[in-house]
Amino acid sequence: MNDELILQHGLTLDEFQVIKDYLKRDLTIEELGIFSAMWNEHCCYKTSKKWLKKLPTNNEIVIQGPGENAGIIDVKDNDGIAFKIESHNHPSYIEPFNGSATGVGGILRDIFTMGARPIATLDSIRFGEISSDKTKYLLNGVVHGIGHYGNCIGIPNIGGECEFDKTYDFNNLVNAMAIGHVKNDSIFYSKPKTIGGLIVYIGSKTGKDGIHGASMASDVFSEDDEDEKRPSVQVGDPFMEKLLMEGCLELMSSGLIESMQDMGAAGITSSSVEMASKGNVGVHINLDKVPLRQPLTPYEILLSESQERMLAVIDKDNNEKIREILKKWQIDYEVIGEITNTKRVVFSSNEKIVVDLPVNIIVDDAPEYDREFSLPKKRKKRNFDTSKLDIEKMISNYMNNLNYLDKSWVYNQYDSTVMGDTIKEPGQSAGIVKIHNTEKAIGATTDCNPLYIRINPEKGMIYTVLEAYRNLVASNIKPMAITNNLNFASPLDPNIMGEIVLSISGLSDIAKKLDTPIVSGNVSLYNQTNDRPINPTPVIGMVGCNSNWKNLLQNKFILENDELILLGKSLGTDFSPYFLQDQKITNSICDFNELLAPEINLEIKTAKFIQEAAEKNLIQSSNDISRGGIFMSLIKMTQKNLGFSIEINEEKDIFCEYSAGYILAINPKNKEEVFSMLNQNQINYLSIGHVKLNTFEINSKKFEYSDMLEKYNNNFKKIIN
Amino acid sequence: MRIKILIRLKNQILEPQGKVIEQSLKSLGFEDFSNIRQGKLIEIDLPDSLNEEERSLKIDTACKKLLVNEIIEEYEVLG
Amino acid sequence: MSFKSAVITFPGSNCDRDALTYLRDLTQGEVLNIWHEESSLPKVDLVILPGGFSFGDYLRSGAMASKSNIIHDVIDHANNGRYLLGICNGFQILTEIGLLKGALIQNESIKFLGKDCHIKKKFDNKFNCNIKDNEVLQIPVAHNEGNFYCDQETLSYLQDEGLIAFEYCRGEYQIDDANINGSLDNIAGITNKNKNILGMMPHPERAYQDFHASKDGKKIIESILS
Repeated sequence: MNDELILQHGLTLDEFQVIKDYLKRDLTIEELGIFSAMWNEHCCYKTSKKWLKKLPTNNEIVIQGPGENAGIIDVKDNDGIAFKIESHNHPSYIEPFNGSATGVGGILRDIFTMGARPIATLDSIRFGEISSDKTKYLLNGVVHGIGHYGNCIGIPNIGGECEFDKTYDFNNLVNAMAIGHVKNDSIFYSKPKTIGGLIVYIGSKTGKDGIHGASMASDVFSEDDEDEKRPSVQVGDPFMEKLLMEGCLELMSSGLIESMQDMGAAGITSSSVEMASKGNVGVHINLDKVPLRQPLTPYEILLSESQERMLAVIDKDNNEKIREILKKWQIDYEVIGEITNTKRVVFSSNEKIVVDLPVNIIVDDAPEYDREFSLPKKRKKRNFDTSKLDIEKMISNYMNNLNYLDKSWVYNQYDSTVMGDTIKEPGQSAGIVKIHNTEKAIGATTDCNPLYIRINPEKGMIYTVLEAYRNLVASNIKPMAITNNLNFASPLDPNIMGEIVLSISGLSDIAKKLDTPIVSGNVSLYNQTNDRPINPTPVIGMVGCNSNWKNLLQNKFILENDELILLGKSLGTDFSPYFLQDQKITNSICDFNELLAPEINLEIKTAKFIQEAAEKNLIQSSNDISRGGIFMSLIKMTQKNLGFSIEINEEKDIFCEYSAGYILAINPKNKEEVFSMLNQNQINYLSIGHVKLNTFEINSKKFEYSDMLEKYNNNFKKIIN
Repeated sequence: MRIKILIRLKNQILEPQGKVIEQSLKSLGFEDFSNIRQGKLIEIDLPDSLNEEERSLKIDTACKKLLVNEIIEEYEVLG
Repeated sequence: MSFKSAVITFPGSNCDRDALTYLRDLTQGEVLNIWHEESSLPKVDLVILPGGFSFGDYLRSGAMASKSNIIHDVIDHANNGRYLLGICNGFQILTEIGLLKGALIQNESIKFLGKDCHIKKKFDNKFNCNIKDNEVLQIPVAHNEGNFYCDQETLSYLQDEGLIAFEYCRGEYQIDDANINGSLDNIAGITNKNKNILGMMPHPERAYQDFHASKDGKKIIESILS
């Protein structure tokens, strides 16, 4: 076993020595493969573990926190919501269609492996500059792939984000989130319970897909790499997964399964090792029993990431009944091993033992690093000259920037209403589905403000979480918990490590104040090509509930003459990073001012007010203010022939970012009561105008209504072609 | 014996993928490529013991019953 | 006498639960769920072939489902004059069986299309009789292969016999085209000669509840029950 082989497997020589010293012998090639998969960043979180431990992960609504396939929160009456977000960044850069499709497949398995029926997905996708052909290719491939998988398996896509920034030119991001519904007394875990229980393989036959996928996820690309890495990408079969999902859910509801784990990154290796670790037991698997698509060596079987496969532990008495059920769903099924009491992971092939390792060296004793990190430098206060910007210019800058335009080109390629329970489709402040046969509404959003986080990781993260919070509040969904996908560049650079440490710290801080624990998540590091790291992009998936869908708030204008009320505090031109960047005042990261302190108390107070006002039916519709300011918030509220007319003194404030920012549309007869409530709560507000038919008027400047909407709705398609 | 069946949309039916492929090829400099249509290939192993007539009959029956929708598609057995 | 109905589930059907809920909420009678491998179908008044990706849409959408065991009895059910409704993939299956004319091919845009669309009645039948002439319905579509095709002779036949049930049209504030997928003559749904079988691409079962964006899908069932 030479040094080159060890390094090719993604282990440092030091790490290898630790293993060798522990075992007091040489490793087999299969054992090296196992450590290659289990000890890389994606599986063992060696860089981030120390810091992730600081996150709040529990409160009275958390049924399952981080550590299982998905987090689960209690939404009362024995209903639980399982959810998680995961990345498939590197595979989707190499082969965008399959890379993103299998990302969706993977996250859905994480949900139904816990006995939860998936009820919605969201996707957060980021690309480089659209002027590049490569970006166009990636955009088309990723959206096609996500749609292909989600549509076929029949789970509605209810929201997400789509951002374009040159920071992602060589490292596009694909984060897939899924939400499922489970009965709290029927949750399945991966922990096996019985010594002597049979380990069974359920699903697609194993092939060469994705061999070394988990290591690929942690490798930094060099520009020549792409073609060499191509065979590694897994190919998914959503039809197979639909059958697998139905088969597994049927098995679980018939009480025939003891525990279940899906085979994702590092395939059979990670699922069997994790089962052993959770249950504090051993596993013995005969690789000869694994159903194969083509001849494979034991090494290849161990590392294959063929999709749509599950591992389960069952009582041997249930074997035949399980076989019957799976036969109906045309799913392959084999008994491949058993649970032992040795606390060792043993794989045999051809009557030889090829792997014999104690579980704890693979999992509990996996490396944990305390990497050096540096804090961002202090910023000098700058004043920016925005005098050349008039309303027409500011509108035009946004209407020609993909990040501000209507994204139906993306989400019309997804099925958003399958399963018949969608209340809010993509394009609204949050995606919302009803839990079948109940009145409960579950809302979700994904958000990230990489520019803010680049300027100040800690504060920027707080702003990001608050934006997600406002997205839910604007629909009257009570925010409950968070899943997070931390996408960063190489942690070996102290500056990047600083971004990781500080954004986790900011997340921890705000999650505690909002009482929204982090129940699941994923870390994706080394997102950089040569020396170009991506901006820090820790994506937040936030989920909440309203016990009755009838109490939800609309996000679109409903009635002519409704009065428009502005809540929140403008950050002003000097302190609105997206305004300064996208109005082309500056694009140098060094120029931006320090972020203003997030107004956490104001956000919480305002959210409480909105909830109370909604309960009293005082609000016709509302929308939150984020990137693009009041202008974008209003344009998103227009529908049919319902436009608006507004007057605001500080013209530029219309396009700046806000803290605790919302636009409320109020029936004039409710004005007094609303103002009275706001005054009582000491929340500042401004009456800025009203809903007006076929009108798009700002400070007495009239813009042609249908022309403005035509730009907003059609420019995305024009720009990307 | 390995049988190859080529299945195509009938000529009069718009084949949108072919059009897009043609545009892409043209933009890559293949100016003189035209009239591109995309089809599909189905490969099947049949026992060598069958004679040509038996093979032909089985293939045609399979095509009519399942593999080909004769309202919109036509097929050709290759080789 | 109560109205009995059934929804057939194929491997890969994913709108079967939606169709079952639709029928249970809007009809008073028994609603059965029949697995595609059953060889016999109980006597019911209405059978729905639901949407989804039966057999993954592999080979051609609906091709393999059309050869399932249960199809024999579905054909008998239709030949006895009882109602048969094929929604989306169900419509594709009906054309593959040959109970409806024409075929559904890939959307002209080559992309999956998932959004609200607008349709109106073209010719009367028992599935749309409660809908007024020129009344515009808003119902979601979600399909890759929704582009209706038939040869000129068949098109003339469908027009002459009044078998075009629904056609795509523009909604009140819509700026883009009425025809969303390239379908010949804007055809969104057709019946057989006897008008007891309807195939339609839009999903009425996603447009009938109070929380849905539109309740126009109710009118299909209301028409059948009237």
